[in-house]
Amino acid sequence: MMFSFLRTREVAVAGLILLTIIVVSCVNGDFFSGQNARDILIAAAPGMIVACGLTLIIVMGEIDISMGALMGLCAAVLGKLVSADHAALPVWAASFIVLALGAGIGLINGLLVTVGKVPSIIATLGMLTALIGVSDLVMAGSTIGNFPDSLRSFAIGQVGFIPVPVLVAVLCIVACVVLTRYTPLGRRMYAVGSNPHAARLAGLPVQRLKLLAFVLTGALTALATLISAPQLDVIEAGFGRQFELLVVTAVVVGGTSISGGMGTIIGSALGVILLSLVRTVLIFLQLGVSATYWERAIQGGFIIAAVLADHVGRKRGGHS
Amino acid sequence: MRYLLALCAVSVLALVSGCGGDSEAPKTTVTVKEGSSITIALLPKKKGIAYFTSCAEGAEEAAKALGNVTVIYDGPTDGSPEKAASMIEKWTLKGVDVIAVSPNDPSVLAPAMKAAQAKGIKIITWDADAAPDTRSFFINQATSQQIGEAMVDALIKDMGSVEGQVAIVTATLTAANQNAWIDAMKARLADKYPKVELVAIKPCNEDQKIAFQVAQDLMKAYPDLKGIFGISSVAFPGAAEAIKQAGKSGQVQITGLSTPNAMKNYVKDGTVKSVVLWNTKQLGFLTVLVAIAVKDGTLKAGATEFDAGTLGKKPVVGDQVLLNNLLIFTKDNIDQFDF
Amino acid sequence: MKSSGPNTNESWWRQYNYWHETVLAMLIVGLLLSASVLSPSFTTVKTQVGLSSDMWELALLALPMTLIIITAGIDLSIGSIMALSAVVLGMTFEAGANPWVAAMCGIMAGTACGVFNGLTVAKLKVHPLIVTLATLAAFRGIAEGISLGRPISGFPASFTELGTGTFGGVPIPGLIFGVLALLFAIALARTPFGLSIYAIGHNPLASRYSGLPVARITVAVYALAGTVAGLAAAIYVARRNTAKADIGTGLELDVITAVVLGGTSIFGGSGRILGTLLGVLAIHQTRKFVGWYWDREELNFIVVGVLLIAAVLLNRLFDKKTK
Repeated sequence: MMFSFLRTREVAVAGLILLTIIVVSCVNGDFFSGQNARDILIAAAPGMIVACGLTLIIVMGEIDISMGALMGLCAAVLGKLVSADHAALPVWAASFIVLALGAGIGLINGLLVTVGKVPSIIATLGMLTALIGVSDLVMAGSTIGNFPDSLRSFAIGQVGFIPVPVLVAVLCIVACVVLTRYTPLGRRMYAVGSNPHAARLAGLPVQRLKLLAFVLTGALTALATLISAPQLDVIEAGFGRQFELLVVTAVVVGGTSISGGMGTIIGSALGVILLSLVRTVLIFLQLGVSATYWERAIQGGFIIAAVLADHVGRKRGGHS
Repeated sequence: MRYLLALCAVSVLALVSGCGGDSEAPKTTVTVKEGSSITIALLPKKKGIAYFTSCAEGAEEAAKALGNVTVIYDGPTDGSPEKAASMIEKWTLKGVDVIAVSPNDPSVLAPAMKAAQAKGIKIITWDADAAPDTRSFFINQATSQQIGEAMVDALIKDMGSVEGQVAIVTATLTAANQNAWIDAMKARLADKYPKVELVAIKPCNEDQKIAFQVAQDLMKAYPDLKGIFGISSVAFPGAAEAIKQAGKSGQVQITGLSTPNAMKNYVKDGTVKSVVLWNTKQLGFLTVLVAIAVKDGTLKAGATEFDAGTLGKKPVVGDQVLLNNLLIFTKDNIDQFDF
Repeated sequence: MKSSGPNTNESWWRQYNYWHETVLAMLIVGLLLSASVLSPSFTTVKTQVGLSSDMWELALLALPMTLIIITAGIDLSIGSIMALSAVVLGMTFEAGANPWVAAMCGIMAGTACGVFNGLTVAKLKVHPLIVTLATLAAFRGIAEGISLGRPISGFPASFTELGTGTFGGVPIPGLIFGVLALLFAIALARTPFGLSIYAIGHNPLASRYSGLPVARITVAVYALAGTVAGLAAAIYVARRNTAKADIGTGLELDVITAVVLGGTSIFGGSGRILGTLLGVLAIHQTRKFVGWYWDREELNFIVVGVLLIAAVLLNRLFDKKTK
């Protein structure tokens, strides 16, 4: 019952994506092109990567809203480490440090939540605020540029005909799907979310599982930075700000329950694609200059519609 | 925690190293009286971006050259006008001598600026202007109208044609300065280039990923697009990268305001032909000189010329001191600038 | 809790309910004391009154947010509601209405937004975090759409007094806040409405079975947040003489920070207006002092973020001892 319901959720989001593509392609034929699909997937890649980790956190009944600020910090540190104007470290070493930094911040979040018993929304809100300040200090008011080509290939390179960011995102999704569907570890995470008390009584290491999810999300955020920040020639202050809004919304639109216990990686990834489509779609619909001012309202309305549809779907599926 | 500490250390080092700079010990006729000292608060539209950091460096140079001048450089890191207004109120209470404001939203800042003036604090504007009754002088490197017109003219020149579709990638829909530029750009287009069609104005919400994506989408949705304006320091490089990656360098032209360092590679590989800006260090330098002259009364309404030492004599028109050094960075000269 | 026993020495502080408030008050006093040493001009009455000018919107919004969080809800959209109210105010004024009438229209628009949030939460049973995450975008989007992003100013001095005037040395927004804070404190601690708010936060199911009109109270609480956001918008517009769609950006996180800092549990069921007042004061004083002393905006973010986490950790420490 539960699994068939989850599958229909994924199908519903996928259907909505298809419907959007068909409708917009009818209005503007240029929308339906391989190049456009490719660009949309590249744009959605960082969101999909982070959504993998966040889904696990939300499935366990916690939340993380520090990802955007962490992305900013990772980008600033990455820039400072790699740029020929600054530390000029080799790319592999810098990437490793940035991944460790992401995992480290995730670890602090996780420790605050599990050992410190700080509610996750508060712990990560504090982290979000603090990291904005730290990354501004690291950036020190300048743009960072002068990156080696090997770093830039993380974001604009290709393996065969697949862009690197998309490849990385797909690998993350596959790994997390395997983790959640086919390993005891993943199943335990769902058990923790659907009934934490029972999970604890059953002897599951609730705290350690949560810690793991936070560390994973931190590391994935760093990974997402690695494949998106070098897209440009320079890194500016404010990178990644408000990224968390996109990812949290996408995970929810993708069918993950904010109170924990259910949700799938695929659903979240589809949610990211759906939300990333909105901006592109509004450009292709060519609504004219003044319609631009309504964009945010349309985006908001879209989210409300998706959430309400989710609610109706849930009632039909017998969940409330 | 260790990471945080290490990061703080890194950032402190970076700050210290950034404070050096080339000082030719500029001589100016503006002086600070023996035994007195002046505190100038320098408020940028948005702290933390390279453009304003380089202005602040110029201001620091002036302060060092003169001695006895303290420059406080602080501003909202998110560009929020509300925070900027609070900072003006804070400096008013602190009793600084002069507040030099680059207003990110003149209408929001106006009450705070007027209140400061009522308390006897001198208010001048730099980089962008506010209503004349809220400040005594404006250090004018370019008005909104001039900036808008310069960008339109530069793009049309780069396009090599007076017809076709163009689009704007802006900061946010509520950014007051950008909106003023857009108005000027629309007027210029309607006035001089009626066959150029402005097909879209899109915000990038000051996110370089979004700027990139928006420019990408614009080129696909409008295959005949001839030019893009990237009118914020985030929008410009983002949009330029999109053009480059789409392989449309030369086909779709782009221009905007940005610091040369951010655009160097795009100018060198031909994606960007011209970048409009002024000498930001000189702007900061001149701002400090004018601030001091306004404070000690040597610069009064009615003056026609201001002696800015190494910068030469600058014309004063009405209540505006003109910097007169609009720069167009191109392939040939961009390497001479480092900010 | 039974306290009859020989251990009266220990039990008084076990029973003492105000640990969080006491610690927070001590923290504020400590901050002000060190501030008066480091920078004596900071602690003068004149400076404090002057610096308070941009605290009132935060303080006002923290009141209904406390109620919402006690019901185990959250409202991320209040900053956006403020923007929409301000734009409605501005546009009605521009259309020729008296500014006070325009302000009423703004407050009504805010209330309507709040009712929408409340109905979606209470009737459709969508999680408040999700509802208000969506309306966070939607309300600001509508504000941008109807105002086309431009500022509206030129309000008469009689109206701007609302934001800048003083009465007996106290800023008028401060007076409004004082009255409202008192009303909220009484309503929360001494009326059936307040008690049912705690009950809903503590156990919504039990509340419903015991006959409480859970849905109606939930809608009322969110509507109240909308009304207060409308009022805060009017004060903001009066103070800055500008109505614009970017007002209150990011304010929701500040407000939540202040409320949680004040000891209200994010899981609902507990919290007090007194704590929220102290939370607002703590965040305001810290921020202003950091700005006053260092003039480095970046530090503010770090200090406030660390303060929030530290306060909640400290609270946990005392919680453990009392339980």
